[in-house]
Amino acid sequence: LNAAPGCAPRQHVRFLPTPGDGGTTELVAVRVPVLADHPLVRGPRFRHLKIGAGHRLDLKASGVFVLGIGHGNKLLTDLYNCHLTKVYTVGGLFGKATDDFSDTGTLVEKTTFDHITREKLERILAVIQGTHHKALLMHSNIDMKTQEAYELAVKGLIRPMGKSPPIITAIRCLQFALPEFHLEIHCLHETQQYLRKMVHEIGLELKSSAVCTQVRRIRDGVFTLDDALLRTQWNLQSVQNAIQNCRLKVKAEIEKTL
Amino acid sequence: KRKDRVFVWGFCYSGALGVPSFVKPDVGWKKPRRIQPTPYRLETEEKISSAACGYGFTLLSSSTTDIIKVWGMGLNKDSQLGFQRSRRDLTKGYEYVLEPSPIPLPLEKPQQTRVLQVSCGRAHSLILTDSEGVFTMGNNSYGQCGRKVVEDETYSESHLIHQLKDFDSRVVQVVCGQDHSLFRTKKGAVYACGWGADGQTGLGHYNITSVPTKLRGDIDGVNIIQVSSYGDCCLAVSDEGDVFGWGNSEYLQLACVTETTQVNVPRHLPFKIGKIKEAACGGTGNIVLTEEGNVFVWGYGILGKGPNVTETAVPEMIPPSLFGWSDFNPDIRVAHVRCGLSQFAALTNRGELFVWGKNLRGCLGTGRMEDQYFPWRVTVPGEVVDVACGVDHMVSMVKSF
Repeated sequence: LNAAPGCAPRQHVRFLPTPGDGGTTELVAVRVPVLADHPLVRGPRFRHLKIGAGHRLDLKASGVFVLGIGHGNKLLTDLYNCHLTKVYTVGGLFGKATDDFSDTGTLVEKTTFDHITREKLERILAVIQGTHHKALLMHSNIDMKTQEAYELAVKGLIRPMGKSPPIITAIRCLQFALPEFHLEIHCLHETQQYLRKMVHEIGLELKSSAVCTQVRRIRDGVFTLDDALLRTQWNLQSVQNAIQNCRLKVKAEIEKTL
Repeated sequence: KRKDRVFVWGFCYSGALGVPSFVKPDVGWKKPRRIQPTPYRLETEEKISSAACGYGFTLLSSSTTDIIKVWGMGLNKDSQLGFQRSRRDLTKGYEYVLEPSPIPLPLEKPQQTRVLQVSCGRAHSLILTDSEGVFTMGNNSYGQCGRKVVEDETYSESHLIHQLKDFDSRVVQVVCGQDHSLFRTKKGAVYACGWGADGQTGLGHYNITSVPTKLRGDIDGVNIIQVSSYGDCCLAVSDEGDVFGWGNSEYLQLACVTETTQVNVPRHLPFKIGKIKEAACGGTGNIVLTEEGNVFVWGYGILGKGPNVTETAVPEMIPPSLFGWSDFNPDIRVAHVRCGLSQFAALTNRGELFVWGKNLRGCLGTGRMEDQYFPWRVTVPGEVVDVACGVDHMVSMVKSF
């Protein structure tokens, strides 16, 4: 960043003495660059960069992680107040139960899982979705008797605009191959440990047990996997391109909600 | 293994929920509960195949070949639950029954006949069997039990259970309105008896009928596949997807064909909303379900389209997104619709129950006491197979996970 050509040094008008014709010194107005702006005087332009993080991501989880740079940190709080949903791909394994709900913890119990079918899993997912939908409507603090509550409910736009416990807005089974399964979860205000706990509870409801093998965030509000930069792409040019691409999207989203 | 369960909720003091500890607590620290706002599991010995909620009482029936096939609980002041011999005084009967008590039926072949369906009205009940016709009990002051009206008859503590057998073919559905009864036979004909002052018997007059008589009018010759009634208005659905209505029309239920407030002959309702699969009638509002799985409501009251829509004569569709349909779940459809007096219930193909309407004494089961202006999911631990709606309570048959 510091190597990029900075802005041109300021110019100001100074009255400099110049030797005039015939020996008298005259003051002539000349535009001269300010000495204080000279790069050798000022030093490198950027010494610290303020970087803020968006929604947290666990050590064991992976996926989209939003960062704000410099003035973008202010947009981070606005994005948080928009309460947009995040989408995760969660991988699970039937047959084991561990103490921290993931496959690297200490084993607590082993169970059989041959009785589990995709329909049973989908039934449990439907119940989870139902109860969380109710929680969504209740925490959104809208009076159910008003016409606008009805219209928002029809469009599906009711969502809690303040603090609330983790709510799953949609959950779907992507792959099912015993003993493994993959779920796509859309949620609000959650932590990755809560998602692992949800996998464990699904295992319990199916009269077996399950651990979570993988948690991957594929969307965080407006930022999807396509906008995300890989480890190999962590250089100035790609960062600047990414900021450019997302700027409009973020602005539109903030204006829509607030 | 998936077990079959029965869940009840609503007003408890009439005993209609079948849990005696709500009314008369068995343990000292329990207090009598006036309202059960969320679904409560009712323990039954047999698998319940059909349930019906009347005005303060409930009937449960199972399709078993045992001697006891029907249980009743709740109000019994007009012997709508049969004669329940009191244990304290063997000559008298109970006026309130607090737990599911067997109803003895005078069957000829009790070990072979099966009970198919039960239905309850304001003070009378109908029990449909597969080979012995229809049994009726309860109040008969308007002839709704299908027998001649006896002047000054006392209906409480009565042992009389009347049997109805002569119809043109086997009866396949019985429906109770407030003070009238409807019978649908296998050939597609509809018979009615009972009070007719609003034309709800559909027989062309406004008098009472004490013998089941066949209906004519627009449904003459039409193969009817479903009949529904709960108040004073009746709807019938034909196999071609047409809907016919008769009875009370004070709340615009039949206003699309006539301006009169009582219609005593079945009239075809020319709705252009598609082929209709199922219909249900409430006290002031009606609901139909089309083949595509869309739900239409009309009438008066809380119809389910927000607080502004309180009356409409033309059916209006309830947006499927309120039942859980979205781009994420595009294959959610409403499978059944049911009506209470001022409540509506819808069952989806995923086994979820949605209710809306006036929350009279907590009958919606949402856990809140306020009226519900749009469909709201009821949390039941299981897949809801069927639901029966009453005035102030509801009963649901649920398959556990």
